[in-house]
Amino acid sequence: MIEPNKFWWMIKKELITLKRHPARLVSILAFPIIMILLFGYGMGGEMTDLPIVVVSQSHGDLTDLTLDTIKTTETYHVVEVLDSLSEGKERVDSGEMKAAIILPPDYDENTTQQKGVTLYIDSSDQMASQILESSTQGIFYRLSNMVAAQTSVSTQNASIEPSISHSLDNFKDDISLHINRIYGNIKYIDFLVPAILGMTIMMSCMMGMGSAIAGERETGELARLFMTPTSVSTVIGGKIAAKLLIELVRALILIFMAVLLFNVSIKGGFLRTFIVLVIGALCFVGFGIMLSARTSTQEDYAQISLPFSMPMMFVSGVFYPIETMPWILQKLAYIFPLTYLNDAMRGVMLKGQSLGDVWLDLVVLLGFTLLFFIIGVKRFNRDV
Amino acid sequence: MKNAIETTNLTKVYGNFTAVNSLNLEIPDKSIFGMLGPNGAGKTTTIKMLTCLIQPTSGQATVGGYDVQKNPDEVRRLLGMVPQQVSLYKDLTVMENSQMCADYYGVPVDERDSRIEDLMELVDIKYAKDKRVGKLSGGQKQKASLVASLVHRPDILFLDEPTIGLDPTTKRTLWDLIRELNDNGHTIILCSHDMHEVDMLCDNVGIINTGNLVAYDTPQGLKDALLESNKKEIAEALGKISDESEVSHSTKEDIQNLSLRKMSILLKDQNDEIIEAIKKLKDVKSIEIARNGRINLRIDSFDDMAVQNVLNDISSSGGIIKSIYTEEPSLEDVFIKSTSEVNEDDRA
Repeated sequence: MIEPNKFWWMIKKELITLKRHPARLVSILAFPIIMILLFGYGMGGEMTDLPIVVVSQSHGDLTDLTLDTIKTTETYHVVEVLDSLSEGKERVDSGEMKAAIILPPDYDENTTQQKGVTLYIDSSDQMASQILESSTQGIFYRLSNMVAAQTSVSTQNASIEPSISHSLDNFKDDISLHINRIYGNIKYIDFLVPAILGMTIMMSCMMGMGSAIAGERETGELARLFMTPTSVSTVIGGKIAAKLLIELVRALILIFMAVLLFNVSIKGGFLRTFIVLVIGALCFVGFGIMLSARTSTQEDYAQISLPFSMPMMFVSGVFYPIETMPWILQKLAYIFPLTYLNDAMRGVMLKGQSLGDVWLDLVVLLGFTLLFFIIGVKRFNRDV
Repeated sequence: MKNAIETTNLTKVYGNFTAVNSLNLEIPDKSIFGMLGPNGAGKTTTIKMLTCLIQPTSGQATVGGYDVQKNPDEVRRLLGMVPQQVSLYKDLTVMENSQMCADYYGVPVDERDSRIEDLMELVDIKYAKDKRVGKLSGGQKQKASLVASLVHRPDILFLDEPTIGLDPTTKRTLWDLIRELNDNGHTIILCSHDMHEVDMLCDNVGIINTGNLVAYDTPQGLKDALLESNKKEIAEALGKISDESEVSHSTKEDIQNLSLRKMSILLKDQNDEIIEAIKKLKDVKSIEIARNGRINLRIDSFDDMAVQNVLNDISSSGGIIKSIYTEEPSLEDVFIKSTSEVNEDDRA
């Protein structure tokens, strides 16, 4: 039987504690902001303005066009255009520059031979080098096409039959690629934020239940409650109610900060996102209760919860799509509730799906919640 | 007399370890019962079973007539517990903690605050009612804990080392309070390692060791029993020593002295004549003059009149007694004897 006044005392106790410990209140508010800043800016931002030099050993229209194209590409910050090849390489070797784009002396010569542009790159920075490589390949692919088109026109004027040239032009038109982004232009940060919200809720719920149950067991407060004629489920229910209230506030801050800082669009609407987060919070509070059911100290709880929370963070598709992971991790992902929360959050926030569209994720989360509570309450030890 | 607590073959086993072994215990209603035992003896496990925090492996226990396994909530309503480690929420005030406990025990809301105020006056903590528990001194915390534990008017109150770490004045205040609570009809179960405290406060004492009840009586009964036991054992030991044995006369005398009652007196105008006269007294077995001038006697009689007879004899010999004390077995002696016997049995 639920006893409302006992529930209320748990909530009241938490609120009084927060009121009397402003530092703790600040931490609760700051934690989601720090998380979203760290992950959003640290991992979700795009790499731009990578410092490079261009070694230009040629002069002419093509060189000018190439330099203009490179300079206007956001990926690069062209620190200097040099004449000396050795100086360009040295600037990269010293770590000052991420790369040097080397245009050969014959770059502007009108020749049918292939022109060897070199990207001299600091490959120790794997992330930056990957981006520089793909970006540079893209630029020279476009320039190469442009040169080919100009050549074909000039050739046409000189000797090649117009009909052949025409057919080439038609062919180019025929295979033009149209990209149809069904959920709009989604950046990595958009992909990341819904999962960061889920992950933050997971971490704070699990950590919070450690202090709420194992911590109070350690200090004896829980013993006093269990000596009263009160059922385990009422005590646990009160703890859940108190924790959930704090987590809801945290979830609100998280969503608000995500929109404010990263201009993340919530296509499915604020309310739906909030509901999904609440279900997720409930699930992880249950998880925390299950783990703390028999732990006698907060330290024990931390040791027990870590092997669950850490893999869950990296396997549940927070940072990379699950499909890109090795098959064993993919299988593992489906036994972690965070996977379903992330999927539901992305569905609602990125795709604008309704709660009905993500019903499977929600049912699985609620199923986990029920399972955790049943195991938690059954295994719960009044012994302190 | 009705019993507040009764256990029958109460047993708790953890794996291969028997924490409490067939404990049979009766604690009379409205009495103060002292539960003694060395660390790890099974006291805490017994208390946990009696307060429904853990289930017994076998056996039965009733508290206030209710079975701890069948009617745990009824048992909980009858119990109050003041744990050794104050377990109130340190961020809540004394008043808030007490209100919370009252609500958890289902105290009627219209009575709640007045009950708390009365209890605060009783234990003298009203002046700190709006202070956070975390900011109180050790003694104040114990008093606050008492208020929270008594707010539902429990018939039976468990006190686990209630005075540990407290200054002598606060200790005495708490002792007075324990007596007052008992006078008001509360049965008190006092777990303590302070033998003086138990000796002074308790009507009955039970000593638990390695999960067994090894001694149970009034404090005086236990001490008398120890004295008798000592005498018996020493007599047996002496009987084994034959006159022809290699044991020296002085060693034999030392053993004999162990069974004697000790008395220490300080005389006004002490002189050799009086000392000689005392030496000749019938019940005085040995005499020793200490550096501080005290005369330490060993009296070879446990007759109720033995001490009085010695005093009369000294007075009639012209001695004027300025100070006197007699030394009898303490509860600590009983405790050490009771627990060491079992430990030796275990080792054997």
